[in-house]
Amino acid sequence: MAENAANTIAKERVCDLATRNGEPRWLKDLRLNAWEAYLKLPAPNHRHEEWHKTGIEKLDLSQYGLLEESKSAPGKARDKSELVAKSIEAAATLTQGYGATGTFVELDAELASKGVIFKSLSSAIEENEDLLKTILTGDKYVPESDKPDKFALLNRALFQGGVLLYVPAGVVIDKPFVFNVDMPAVASKLAIFPRVIVILESNAQAQVVTVSGDQAASADGGLFVDMLTEVYLGANARLSGVNVDKLSDTTYQMSKTRTHVERDAHFDYLTCGLGAKQIKSDFETVMAGPGSYSRVQGLVLGSGSEQYSYNTTQAHKTPNASSDIIFRVALKDKAQSIYQGNVLVDKIAQKTSAFQSNKNLLLGQKAKADSIPRLEILADDVKCSHGATVGPVDPEQLFYLQCRGLSVQEAQEFIVSGFFVQVLDTVNITGAAAWIGELVAQKIHS
Amino acid sequence: MTAKQPILQIIDLHAKVEDKEILKGVNLTINGGEVHAIMGRNGSGKSTLSYTLMGHPRYQVTSGKMLYKGQEISEMSPDERAKLGLALAFQYPVAIPGVSVSNFLRATTKAVRGKEIPVKEFRQELKAQMAKLGVKDEFLSRYINDGFSGGEKKRIEILQLSLLKPALAILDETDSGLDIDALKTVSEGINALATPETGILLITHYQRLLNYVQPQFVHVFQDGQILKSGGPDLALELEERGYDWVQPSPAVAAK
Ligand SMILES: Nc1ncnc2c1ncn2[C@@H]1O[C@H](COP(=O)(O)OP(=O)(O)OP(=O)(O)O)[C@@H](O)[C@H]1O
Ligand SMILES: [Mg+2]
Repeated sequence: MAENAANTIAKERVCDLATRNGEPRWLKDLRLNAWEAYLKLPAPNHRHEEWHKTGIEKLDLSQYGLLEESKSAPGKARDKSELVAKSIEAAATLTQGYGATGTFVELDAELASKGVIFKSLSSAIEENEDLLKTILTGDKYVPESDKPDKFALLNRALFQGGVLLYVPAGVVIDKPFVFNVDMPAVASKLAIFPRVIVILESNAQAQVVTVSGDQAASADGGLFVDMLTEVYLGANARLSGVNVDKLSDTTYQMSKTRTHVERDAHFDYLTCGLGAKQIKSDFETVMAGPGSYSRVQGLVLGSGSEQYSYNTTQAHKTPNASSDIIFRVALKDKAQSIYQGNVLVDKIAQKTSAFQSNKNLLLGQKAKADSIPRLEILADDVKCSHGATVGPVDPEQLFYLQCRGLSVQEAQEFIVSGFFVQVLDTVNITGAAAWIGELVAQKIHS
Repeated sequence: MTAKQPILQIIDLHAKVEDKEILKGVNLTINGGEVHAIMGRNGSGKSTLSYTLMGHPRYQVTSGKMLYKGQEISEMSPDERAKLGLALAFQYPVAIPGVSVSNFLRATTKAVRGKEIPVKEFRQELKAQMAKLGVKDEFLSRYINDGFSGGEKKRIEILQLSLLKPALAILDETDSGLDIDALKTVSEGINALATPETGILLITHYQRLLNYVQPQFVHVFQDGQILKSGGPDLALELEERGYDWVQPSPAVAAK
């Protein structure tokens, strides 16, 4: 990425965006502040640890246009059934049809009457301005990160579309809220900035499913998706989430998921990387109260020359919390993956238990995977462990399956699905595991 | 003797693994309806023979023949051999985490039989075999060979073979690790595989298996060859006297 302002998205466009959408002054100021902070941060390059092998230098944002209008741009939204499997029964669905005619929300009246909010950010700005201002400005919900991130700041300057899920204290919903980011087929280069905000007040329980899907761009086209997800879990809240990134090989996606987990709250999340030219996805989870727990799992199936880079941070800022990271990556052809796992344990965070596992299965001769753990442990009474494996399919497993009549191809499919099943088995959103299993099977076959 | 082709004919078979010759001229013929036992010291090459018969990619045939019903199989992939009718019950069954026993059994049975089996029909057949072999229902949802005890794995191997119904069943130390009750049930399972059209090759260290599954032929394997062949009495004699006294059969000695 280039070092100067000329090579990024111009400041006027931030102002234009705020004005065009008729946003309140405070929001416009937030955007401009974020943009200034963004500019001040040095441009990432491959020498930065977390940008190793991402090819970030080649990204020239000045080449990318922004959507002129968020509300009605050309194109046609796809049927939502194309995006999310029918096996998932949603509490509510919101399809953000970027470049398409509109956004669809279905939320039943009962949930609304309990104070549940599930709507596009643009509607939330109009209808729930005070709440949104509290979320986006103060430290009440997700505080500023210790480590400012260039693309998270860019999203905060330019976010357009996105969703707010707000669940009041004590409200329990056992079906998922589904957010589809449906991106258009583009003929030129286009940058998109979805923002997802999930707030669960104390004792609330909810499930979320986010899907990033697109349609392949034409020869000169390509999408740059910069996504920011912020999650706040109040005391004893429970959130299960699944996200699926299934993008075409002309799309870059940078995404950041920041989660703040209060006392006794549980965050259980699975991210699935099933396609894109490149995905860089960061998870920064803060265990902010004793008894908090987070489990972030990854399931990645790469093919062609797709590149994946996942960075996780388990930040323990309190005693007696625990966190698990489990990433499973299978790579066909010459796909590449790099996983970097940070465990940060503050001095006061005694009795922390933090676990990290990253297994990589190389199916293609030219596939490559790296795994880098980084532990910064300042407390002395902790249990932390990490483990990583990188290697081809076990020839003894292949032989065993072949001896039972399965071809090499069929045997590999079995082994790869089995490899992922161990992650999918833990997903407690009804229908999600079957749906993802199906997507995995399709991609293995292709 | 029947005029039919033997199920298996191994002629002067040599095979190597990682450039080390392990099989050094094996000769063996198995006809339909026959049970052959192979006994021999650790490391003499018994498992190598079974892997070579199934086509393990690490084991390379350097010379000799392996004829299944008259057809040379050494160029075939393991799955092609399985589809022809060969099956191996592994000495050390391989765990495939994440693949449930039930999915695995269904897929492999379908692959070997070469046709879809209606779910209900398959279930019935499976339940019947499981009952016979004392395989618990709860095993079906567990992952194949993952975390099972040694004896449980061996039962599941025989369960698989009873569904695949091979014409040539190779059993590599299926009796090792079985308690006495398990040995009886598993032996019944092995006996059920035997028909006038099938051949069975039993690799074992223990004569006690042969009380339940009675072979017509017993072979002593040593240093990659069959050193001596005989009837059931040979097994008893080996049990009693060990391997040291065994003298090569004339055919082997002549080489
Ligand atoms: N992959 C391999 N690499 C190197 N040597 C091997 C390999 N597989 C087998 N061998 C060697 O070949 C010889 C025969 O091994 P094999 O497993 O066939 O013996 P076995 O008769 O089945 O023994 P046991 O009774 O202990 O099961 C041994 O010396 C073994 O170390
Ligand atoms: Mg052996």
